[in-house]
Amino acid sequence: MFIDKTQIEIILVKTLAVIVTTPPYSNLSVTALDYIETALKTGVEVIGVFFYQDGVMHASTSVQIASDEFQYLPCWQRLYNHYSLPLHLCITAAEKRGISDEHTQNIHPIFTVSGLGELVELSSKADRMVQF
Amino acid sequence: MVKPIVKSIVKSLAILNSKAPYGSSAGKDALDIALVFGSFEQPVSLFFQGDGVWQLVQGQNGAMVSVKDYLKTFAAFEFYDIEEIYVCQASLIERNLADTFHIEAVQVLGSEAFAAQLTSHHTILRF
Repeated sequence: MFIDKTQIEIILVKTLAVIVTTPPYSNLSVTALDYIETALKTGVEVIGVFFYQDGVMHASTSVQIASDEFQYLPCWQRLYNHYSLPLHLCITAAEKRGISDEHTQNIHPIFTVSGLGELVELSSKADRMVQF
Repeated sequence: MVKPIVKSIVKSLAILNSKAPYGSSAGKDALDIALVFGSFEQPVSLFFQGDGVWQLVQGQNGAMVSVKDYLKTFAAFEFYDIEEIYVCQASLIERNLADTFHIEAVQVLGSEAFAAQLTSHHTILRF
């Protein structure tokens, strides 16, 4: 039987890392959350989510989304509580956008303050890394 | 039952640059990732496509628009062992740009070779 390269890769994905570079008001947040939750439900180990560029805004407690729009923070909170999903925040990208643990203290507590070294770590550990 | 062929896959990272410099911080954000991966001795290749090819054009001066000239840092790639740098020929032609760049060792590839090289990597990040 012939197995093509893509099929082999799917078989081998046991660990997944996700990098979020889009802001929470982008609909890609919904796609990312759906993707991660589906992976977790099907038994894939999601070793971490890394927030970079405008993605760091997911961690801000200062962002207000209208109540009739998609609320992403409760979704991250649920995945964090349910699966202990590690949520890493690039602090350099965050501080540029007014999100800080030193001056303003507006980082939601489920997020871990990190740097790009953590992205290297995630990429070397995960079978696959996906960007949203 | 078919046994999956487990090869020792080298986890190479491809960074696809698709935006012009200075207008957004995308190029700088991509550069930061490349340098960190390089300093951790992780294989990383750089790809320039679409408006991303403007990042390789010679004689630009970010200071004129008060942007830190991160393109200068491209000269340090060899110290980070970043040697795989590819640019999309079609994108250059569309913009009437010459294939002379402000860094050396850039390889100009046709669309098919560019795609083949890009997809040979384990991970692709796009900026």
